[in-house]
Amino acid sequence: MAELHLIGQIVGASGFPQRRLFCKWGLHAGGAWKLLSGLGAGQTQVDDPQADDVAYWCHPLDVHFATKGLQGWPKLHLQVWHQDGLGRSEVLGYGFCHVPATPGCHALTCVTWRPRGTWRERLKQRLVGGGPQLRAPETVAAGGADRFRLRTEAAGAVHLQLGVLLRHFGRYGVEC
Amino acid sequence: MNRSEESQMIIMEEEFLDEDPAQVERLTRTLTTRRHRRKQTLPEAVGPPEPRAEERSRTSMAAAPSGAAPQPLRDLPPVPSTSRTGFAEFSVRERMKEKLKAAKSKAEINLLQEDHSPRPRRLKNIRERKTEVRLDKASDNDKFREMQEDESHLPSKIKFRDSVKKLKQKSTFQNDFPSAEEAYNFFTFNFDPEPDSIKAGARKRNELNEEEEAEEECVETHEDEQEEDETDEDVRLVKDDDLFIIGQTAEDFLVMKPADCESYSEQLKKEKEFLFTPSMLAVPISEKMPGNMQPRYLEDEGLYTGERPFVSQSNQNILENRILRQEKGKEWFGDDGKILALPNPIKQSSTRPPILSLEEGIAPELETVYRKAIKMTAANQYLVGPGDFQGPFQLDIDISGLIFTHHPCFSREHVLAAKLAQLYDQYLARKQKNLTKLLTDKLHALRNAVQCSIDAGGAGVPSPVAQQSIPEYKIEIRQTRRLRDAEQEKDRMLLKTIIKVWKQIKSLRDFQKFTNTPMKLYLRKEEVDQRLDEKTYEAEIQAEINELLEECMEEYEKKMEEYKTELQEWKSWKKTQKSKKKKKKKDIHEEESVEDCDLGEERVKPIPPKMANSLEIEQQVREKADNCRRKPGEPALIPELVLSGSITPTELCPRAEVLRREDVKKRSAFIKVLFNSKEVSRTVTRPISSDFRVHFGQIFNLQIFNWPESLKLQIYETMGVSSTTLLAEVFIPVPETTILTGSAPMEEIEFSSNQRVMLDHEGVGSGVSFSFEADGSNKMTSMTSGKVSNSVSWAVGEKGIPLIPPVSQQNTGIPSALKNIDAIASIGTSGLTDMKKLAKWAAEAKLDPNDPNNAALMQLIMVATSGEAHVPDFFRLEQLQQEFNFVSDEEFNRSKRFQLLQLRNGEVSEFRNYKQVPLHEREISEKIFQDYEKRLQERDVIDSKNYLDAHRAVVANYLQKVRESVINRFLIAKHHFLLSDLVNEEEIPSLGILGLSLFKLTEPKRPLKPRRKERKKVTAQNLSDGDIKLLVNIIRAYDIPVRKPVMSKLQQPSKSSRSFNEMFAASLSAQSPTDSPDWAFNQVLVRPFVEVSFQRTVCRTTTAEGPNPNWNEELELPFRAPNSDYSTHSLQSVKDEVFINVFDEVLHDAVEDDHERGSGIHTRIERHWLGCVKIPFTTIYFQARIDGTFKVDIPPVLLGYSKEKNLGIERGYDSVRNLSEGSYITLFITIEPQLVPGESIREKFDTQEDEKLLQAAEKYEAECTSKFPSRQCLTTVIDLNGKTVFITRYIKPLNPPQELLDAVPNSSQTAAELVARYVALIPFLPDSVSFAGICDLWSTSDQFLYLLAGDEEEHAVLLCNYFLGMGKKAWLIIGNAIPEGPTAYVLTLEQSQYVIWNPSSGCFYGQYDTFCPLQNVYCLISCDNVWFNMQEYDSPVRTNFDISKPKLWKSFFSRSLPYPGLCSVQPEELVYQHSDKAAAVELQGRIEKILKDKIMEWRPRHLTRWNRYCTSTLRNFLPLLEQNQGKDVEDDHQAELQKQLGDYRVSGFPIHMPFSEVGALIEAVHSTGVHTIDVSNVEFALAVYIHAYPQNVLSLWIYVASLVRNR
Repeated sequence: MAELHLIGQIVGASGFPQRRLFCKWGLHAGGAWKLLSGLGAGQTQVDDPQADDVAYWCHPLDVHFATKGLQGWPKLHLQVWHQDGLGRSEVLGYGFCHVPATPGCHALTCVTWRPRGTWRERLKQRLVGGGPQLRAPETVAAGGADRFRLRTEAAGAVHLQLGVLLRHFGRYGVEC
Repeated sequence: MNRSEESQMIIMEEEFLDEDPAQVERLTRTLTTRRHRRKQTLPEAVGPPEPRAEERSRTSMAAAPSGAAPQPLRDLPPVPSTSRTGFAEFSVRERMKEKLKAAKSKAEINLLQEDHSPRPRRLKNIRERKTEVRLDKASDNDKFREMQEDESHLPSKIKFRDSVKKLKQKSTFQNDFPSAEEAYNFFTFNFDPEPDSIKAGARKRNELNEEEEAEEECVETHEDEQEEDETDEDVRLVKDDDLFIIGQTAEDFLVMKPADCESYSEQLKKEKEFLFTPSMLAVPISEKMPGNMQPRYLEDEGLYTGERPFVSQSNQNILENRILRQEKGKEWFGDDGKILALPNPIKQSSTRPPILSLEEGIAPELETVYRKAIKMTAANQYLVGPGDFQGPFQLDIDISGLIFTHHPCFSREHVLAAKLAQLYDQYLARKQKNLTKLLTDKLHALRNAVQCSIDAGGAGVPSPVAQQSIPEYKIEIRQTRRLRDAEQEKDRMLLKTIIKVWKQIKSLRDFQKFTNTPMKLYLRKEEVDQRLDEKTYEAEIQAEINELLEECMEEYEKKMEEYKTELQEWKSWKKTQKSKKKKKKKDIHEEESVEDCDLGEERVKPIPPKMANSLEIEQQVREKADNCRRKPGEPALIPELVLSGSITPTELCPRAEVLRREDVKKRSAFIKVLFNSKEVSRTVTRPISSDFRVHFGQIFNLQIFNWPESLKLQIYETMGVSSTTLLAEVFIPVPETTILTGSAPMEEIEFSSNQRVMLDHEGVGSGVSFSFEADGSNKMTSMTSGKVSNSVSWAVGEKGIPLIPPVSQQNTGIPSALKNIDAIASIGTSGLTDMKKLAKWAAEAKLDPNDPNNAALMQLIMVATSGEAHVPDFFRLEQLQQEFNFVSDEEFNRSKRFQLLQLRNGEVSEFRNYKQVPLHEREISEKIFQDYEKRLQERDVIDSKNYLDAHRAVVANYLQKVRESVINRFLIAKHHFLLSDLVNEEEIPSLGILGLSLFKLTEPKRPLKPRRKERKKVTAQNLSDGDIKLLVNIIRAYDIPVRKPVMSKLQQPSKSSRSFNEMFAASLSAQSPTDSPDWAFNQVLVRPFVEVSFQRTVCRTTTAEGPNPNWNEELELPFRAPNSDYSTHSLQSVKDEVFINVFDEVLHDAVEDDHERGSGIHTRIERHWLGCVKIPFTTIYFQARIDGTFKVDIPPVLLGYSKEKNLGIERGYDSVRNLSEGSYITLFITIEPQLVPGESIREKFDTQEDEKLLQAAEKYEAECTSKFPSRQCLTTVIDLNGKTVFITRYIKPLNPPQELLDAVPNSSQTAAELVARYVALIPFLPDSVSFAGICDLWSTSDQFLYLLAGDEEEHAVLLCNYFLGMGKKAWLIIGNAIPEGPTAYVLTLEQSQYVIWNPSSGCFYGQYDTFCPLQNVYCLISCDNVWFNMQEYDSPVRTNFDISKPKLWKSFFSRSLPYPGLCSVQPEELVYQHSDKAAAVELQGRIEKILKDKIMEWRPRHLTRWNRYCTSTLRNFLPLLEQNQGKDVEDDHQAELQKQLGDYRVSGFPIHMPFSEVGALIEAVHSTGVHTIDVSNVEFALAVYIHAYPQNVLSLWIYVASLVRNR
């Protein structure tokens, strides 16, 4: 019966080698959680920064969850994509971060990574674009998989500002 | 100051080193200690600032020459003693002097002692220095300057310098001399402790004792220096020459030294002394163990000792040796004599195993796949978002061939052959299945089983299972037998027909003397053993008879049982009856007896059942067997169709046949493949072979992005070179995801075309009847038909991965992980979700588990049912979820707040704009959900309460559903945004705009004809209640009816028959105002005012006088949006109407008797309704403003009122007379602030139209709108299923109800009027209200008539179709009218005049009628073309309707794009239900009752009396009104009423409207305000009449009147 209201924004991304970035995001919560209102997934616009390397999206998040248990605290999944000069898109990074469990405003930085691929793929990527993508990004995010076999390389970071409102958690003995 | 001394020390040290290392060592030690101390004291012992400054200046002066000195004189020089005097106390000084003297004398003694030997050495030293310096600093200038500086200073300075020098000399001299002790004493000896305290006091009074030592040091140094000073003086006195030399060459102080370097061996040697190198030899255990203990080995004793970390033995030895040398070194050793060690912490295996190959063993969810950069498209129906793009999906479509089962070029023989082939195919299929055999076998098996169980039962103990199963078996047997019989009969029938057709073919071949088909039928006889056959036959019959008998017996028994019980009941009842009768005699109780008698009559004595006759049954069975079974001994016939026959060569054929064959040769066919209605590929064109088969054998691989919605094959036939005709379209089902290439079977899909082809040769044509008989009897008609054999399957990619799109699709973002896991999908089926149901069905149907046909199904069911019982064998992530839940699921789901939030989020209509969900559960009332839940429950329950009419209730329900689905669709569409929705980018002013604005400067400031400026539009997002106002400006009215003096009776001949000619011809002369020239004089004034009501807010104007009042008043009405939702779509669906009612204000003398008169005026104001104008809010919303003169809707009869001019009753296109035809009101209505009307939905609808046609339509529309942007060009519309349909498909001649045509058989124009009236009687329901979002849905006429609701388009289409059906020339006008806005009217051509019909009111206007509500004409639409108005002016008066002129009317289908013959969406013929008069009468009564109740309800404080006499009079009038359609009855009527109700003042009127629902009626009655009269003795009369027209179209009349008795 506790509620979690998440209001915030995906501010932008920095540290990516390319410009013209956009971000797909999704909120994943466990079975005990119910999305009361708001969108649980979405996509930002493409930002092509002219001045510096930080892409700003300022994409609003406004999600209202209700929960009957603590398990499966909502998680934010981010995919940073790049739109190249031909209008094609390719993945630049995957990132996952938990929604903060303390009420208040939080400025988060979610670092991202991306699969590295074999040298052949890297060569291809350099020449014709595209790149290795996860077949099932959501399961990787769910944490079930041992990720050590995945060869990845660091990508940039996504900046988030999340305001968390919690309600009635105290009633069930959860101190936030 | 201390440093200088230090440096001196260092020098001394250096020199000491040379002589005695031991001494040196000691000395250095002392020195370092002292130095340390000094460092400590330094900060505290800082002298007063003045002397220090002085010192500094001095040193800087002194440093210049002495800088050349060999000593690294880095810091402050020694403080001269003179400086002390300033502040030291005198006594102290005295004492100091004494001490110094003592010290001096001592020093002198020393000096004298040492004087002899060291001198030469020193000299040499000086010389050395000289040379060095010269080498170093060769600049004479510098020297000179220094010299000068020196000279310029006081001689004392030189002395000082000397003294320094000498001190050094002295110290060097003394090196050899003093023992270490002496030296120590010299430096450390505390000469006098006394001045200590004093000095400390002088410097820092608060100094602590601890620091005494440090201070001592300070003092000491001072003393030393002073001492030196003394000696300096002495020395100088003695050695002047030294001074001389030094003064000249400062370089003498420098000395050149080689770099200090110790040889390595020396270093080693030195190191040896203080370094310890442990040996590498093993240490004996005894040394490591304390005492004489023996080492014990824990491992040997069985205790666990971890593995020790590996250290090499030599290292270990070194360590041991090292430790042993240390104090308590043995503590480091354990009991076993080894160094204590923790177990080896290093893991044997690496925690992160090396990845040998990347591909191997990666978990499936971690697999990466290389994807090309892809372009994204915005359309939402794409398979998957680009994020989930899983590579190309591929459909393989294999088109192998085409077989015509009928073709126009078929000869008669072909027709028969095709039939034969079909039958034969059927035969083969049946034979393959062999159901008969199967069922027979089953029957035998069942019989055996029954026999067995009976035998077993007879033999021993009957098992309960067997006992139970016998009846089941029997039932089974019966069913099976019945099935088998049916099958057998079918088999036999088939065989018979095959033979029959073959015979026909044969006779035909004989008749025409040539053969066209190679077909030959052989009948193979299979001889059977007659005896055996007979035996089985007989046995079969016997078994059947037995079973039937048994069955009959069973039935008989059952019936007998029933009979018995019934009889029993009957008997008992009889008994009670008798006893009651007896009782009755005693007490006479009539009622009861009556009741009893009633009961008694119901009871009938039951009839005993009949026993079945075995003979009868036998006869039945035999008859049936004869019919459907092969007779015993008859050979079994097996037909065999072969294509071995020879076709007669063409030369031998008659001419007609030759022509046919040639024609066939010319024809060829190809197939287009359409994916989602887009042509993706087509086959090659192949000629049709003589046996009407076309072989393609092509496989098309479709790589798809879109979700396959439709797959279509279009079969085209080409004739000769050019002409191509579309024969048929075949829809292919999109294959299941399990169907993959390779495993997909070839399927034959039948098609047929409704094309009508007639040929002039032997070919039978298509859609043409022909006969096989010579006399032409027994005709038959075939349509072109055939079969396409094809297969569609999903392709299999490399590695065997099927290229199938995922079933679940997500539009945007990241799909949830859980959605992809579908347990059943993993089994390999899709779409089957309700396994429970399936299992249940399987159980009920008693599927034979052993039937191989059922195998797959059974397995699936097994999995499904067993899987349910088991714990699912997949891993659950949240298995402990339950334990940790805060609340139970039920409670969680019960939460009203959450429910509310979710519903609001889901945009459920009730909650779509619910604001401020309460924070606490308790604040949410249960009522909120009541409506919603009620709606959910009643979705399928038809509520007839509100609709009074079952049909209308059904329709309303249906409309509601359509509305919901459409709304949902639009809600989704609303969330799709374009760039322009989000980004508001103002155009950069270009040169043209600048020029325009410059041009504006020249405009007059105050133009003579001012125009309304565009107001700024407000987007409806941030509006709230009260922000929006409706401004109604009522300007003036014309021709308001005037009160009629009670006595005046005007006799007007009623005109019932007029012709159009009469109507529009100027027939002024015929009617002249002869009747009452005095009308102008004796008229009674009318005092009209206007009341505007909107959303139950009422505003009124002041009262004006006369029939042509002028108000010019602005009324302001607030507007409230439903649910205070001011979003566009909500505003679009506002259903409220603005009622503009015209009333007459009547003053009545309220004084009861004349005695009270004189002192004051008592009048009572009554108001009489005269008419109204209704304007829907949506119209105002879309139009932004409504400006114009409208016809006031005045009831046909207004009691007590008459029209001012009687001459105007005749119509004509003369405007003067038109004026008087009705009453008009001039209005201006707008919304303040102006709202932005919503834009139409941009959703692209699917369509069945040809792509080419749609493109042409788009192009046409674009061309038209570019020329006349304000004119709407309509070519395609959306039908009720949400599909785009070309507009001309709606126009088609349709039959109006025969009843209407029969009513006036001879006059076409009256019939036309009747029809128009009929159409207008169908209730009006604007689409934009019902379907939020601006989307016109066009329903076809039959849908419209079924729904009995529609807006202008539907009315117009129906009326146009009726007119066409009546043989008129009619078009649909798309235009703009007041007050509807964009609308559709109908144009007809009547005797060279164009007449415009308003379909929703039934009125008609001449082309030149100024009061025609149609303002602009945009398009004309007929059944085969669309014309766009290209004329400069588009008002109907100025428009030329001659569509044959291409300059004036741009047509859609022209020579370049001929009309392709689009088939209509309308039905062939409209079927009308006959009107139900009885239902109408019943409805009439109900409505009357409801309205009466309502009127009483509206008058809560007054008594409402009903005048029954008047009501009945009115009721008699209403049918008359209906008959005359409300025309020309006024005066007769009035007279009659007057006659009947002479002493009443009656005011009232009939309201006429189409019936749709009760709410509208109530609203209409309410708006007239009849109930508002509050005279005490008022009486009311209300009558309702319903006239039912065909198809349940009801014309409703309500007559309301108020009566006040005249005194």
